[in-house]
Amino acid sequence: MKLNERSVAHYATCNSPPDKTGFLFKKGERNTAYHRRWFILKGNMLFYFEEKESREPVGVIVLEGCTVELCESESEEFAFAIKFDCVKAKVYKMAAENQAAMESWVKALSRASFDYMRLVVKELERQLEEVQEEARSSQAKSMLKKHQLQLQGATFSLQNATITGPSQEGVSSRENGVSWSKPPSVPNGVSNTQGDCSERGDGVRPHPVPPRRKTNGGSLESPVSPGTGCFSKLHDWYGKEVAELRIEWLQSHGCRQNESPNS
Amino acid sequence: MRFNEKELVFLSRQPSERAAELGMRGPKKGDVVKRRVVKLIVNFLFYFRTDEDEPIGALLLEQCRVEREDDQVFSVVFLDEAERKYLFECDSQEQCVEWIDAIIKASYEFMRKNLIYYRTEIHRLTGKDPLEQYGISDETRFQVNSGLPPLPPAAT
Repeated sequence: MKLNERSVAHYATCNSPPDKTGFLFKKGERNTAYHRRWFILKGNMLFYFEEKESREPVGVIVLEGCTVELCESESEEFAFAIKFDCVKAKVYKMAAENQAAMESWVKALSRASFDYMRLVVKELERQLEEVQEEARSSQAKSMLKKHQLQLQGATFSLQNATITGPSQEGVSSRENGVSWSKPPSVPNGVSNTQGDCSERGDGVRPHPVPPRRKTNGGSLESPVSPGTGCFSKLHDWYGKEVAELRIEWLQSHGCRQNESPNS
Repeated sequence: MRFNEKELVFLSRQPSERAAELGMRGPKKGDVVKRRVVKLIVNFLFYFRTDEDEPIGALLLEQCRVEREDDQVFSVVFLDEAERKYLFECDSQEQCVEWIDAIIKASYEFMRKNLIYYRTEIHRLTGKDPLEQYGISDETRFQVNSGLPPLPPAAT
């Protein structure tokens, strides 16, 4: 079977960093003595050279589908073997120069397959998606909070402008049991926020967040479409939420003035 | 250069990422287009005569470039011999695009870049190294320090 050997050999010595290099003893295929060779592991390919300075590899072992095992050898200490599953498969017998080298090579070789790399990549890809989704939903939550705070500040100023009754005299007014000191300047209306909660002046305590409003789809986070890193889309969606919340709030507040407040 | 041919032939019989009968032309002057069954398995492209089980040959897809040559034709070129092109003729534009995409993603080095990107991003967002739980955070192949800054996965 043909192989693009020249290019494969080039892969061994090109400037991409190898995964592991070092001297190992390799049992010869015809001459069964162990020969010391310089090994370069790159990806799923294990190249071996006569000398460290050699420019062309003597050979390459494609490591896909192999298992690496420690083995007993009468002549060599620190021996291990690269085995394949197919019929009449080769067994490559190797020996390292010391225990640490042997363990290190066995580890590196058993994780060298393309399949293994693919597994790890898929797992990390999944983890990253999870983390990004979490980040998006918590960003969305905090944005909704900011919208609500602005909303409450804006409707507060609206209310101050229209009420003339005695219950609204003075600087402070009460809402939901929280007393507010009137800020020196309050944003007009529900501003077209660019996403930042602009300064609302000193002395304004954050309003308690109203109970979560459940949408038809379930939790507040779910309507955020995956992959919506696009702020304007998120903003439009929350703009609708805010408008609805505003109506609710105004209505509930309109009622409260004429009736005795419920606890 | 010696290589474990039997094991490679065995690999060519494994389930493929993608397989199709394509027109294939070798890189030598005078090579003509021949119908071949082309199979993409891990980072190898195997090619067979249409009626045979044993591959004629294999191409290791590292250090190579894939390019659109025509509506339905793509080429594979190895960086050490950029003048030599392997040409593949597809049956449709769609098939051509799919093969190009598949081959680009088939290299070990491409996967490594992705892994480094994901690892770096997860670490940036969570402060944790995702490889630690698997006990492989020290493996050379997963290191970011290849001298280059980690890049996001290439679009093409």
